Amino acid sequence: MNGIQLSRLPLSGRIFCTLFLLGIGCGALAAFAQASTAVGVSPAAVQASLAPDLPVTGMHHGEPSGEKEIDLGEISSEARMTIRTPLLIQTSHTHLFGQTLIAGLVGLIFLFTSVRERTKAAIVALPFVGSLLDIGGMWATRFVSPSLATLVIVGGTVFALGYVLIAAISIRDLWFRKEAA
Amino acid sequence: MIIRLVLLSCAIAAPALAHVTPPVVLASDRDAITTLLPGARRHFVREVRLTEEERQAVQKESGWRPEEDFYRFYIGRDEKLHDLGAVAFLTEYTIHGPVRVAVGLAPDGRIKGALVVELSEETYPWVKTVIDGGLLRSFAGRDAHEPFPRAGARSSMSAFYADIVAALVQRAALVYEAGVMKRQRN
Repeated sequence: MNGIQLSRLPLSGRIFCTLFLLGIGCGALAAFAQASTAVGVSPAAVQASLAPDLPVTGMHHGEPSGEKEIDLGEISSEARMTIRTPLLIQTSHTHLFGQTLIAGLVGLIFLFTSVRERTKAAIVALPFVGSLLDIGGMWATRFVSPSLATLVIVGGTVFALGYVLIAAISIRDLWFRKEAA
Repeated sequence: MIIRLVLLSCAIAAPALAHVTPPVVLASDRDAITTLLPGARRHFVREVRLTEEERQAVQKESGWRPEEDFYRFYIGRDEKLHDLGAVAFLTEYTIHGPVRVAVGLAPDGRIKGALVVELSEETYPWVKTVIDGGLLRSFAGRDAHEPFPRAGARSSMSAFYADIVAALVQRAALVYEAGVMKRQRN
């Protein structure tokens, strides 16, 4: 791109790009571990955290109260967080900024790889699309249908897939690609 | 080469998920209910939807207006189905993240105990100071109308969160009184 190629970068540039990509990768692994423990790794777990809290007693809209007996075993013994609208707003604003910045910076490195333009365009878009699906999926789960929790999983996976492709191809170009004369 | 990379990347990335602001969960809902309803043999969920008049009455009394569509109480009873108390979970969303409190209430509306069950990494040090200082224990025996303990000489952030916790405890008592006790009397 404009004559700049990762394979032609000086040693300092290659080290910078490599360590940046590795750092983001470690952050992604930590984020995955955190998501696993705080929310869960299945659509059902995402749904349980994000879907609107509906009456469990069968109380219909407009009814003043409802009551039913429960077994304590029905109540979660796991320490799980629930994400209501105010927290969703907080999460959206921090993660849309954060993930878009990450997608932008790793994408910027990727722009200087040697892959074909169409492939490059497709891969560089993945983290951005993943972020939008991820955060958009959270809102859709809460306000459209709980079944859309799958979108959050898909979004996170697309983001991670984009990162892995970008990192792998960039590191290949940085360290293993023979310079074409 | 690219195809191999794509396949490898798919395998690595498949389980990846979105993430949310890290919470600090101090107790599960079940643990909180068990702790705050000791001796209960049977458990019930009661959900109450406050009328507009009830919401206005609470607001007039406390300055806080209950806005939730409904409020959920976990009621504990003995073998003869006598009420032993109730537990409510209330959350305040602060700029530093949520603070969620479980409040145990006696059948007469007095507070039996309170637990902070969830907060954020950022608020944890401030709220921990409050918990260690004994604020939660100081609620026991009060009803919704007694003056609630104010923060002592702590840091300004701890004092801020002590007031948040106290407000949540008081709100639980107010909603229980409006949605359960007063309705039983009428």
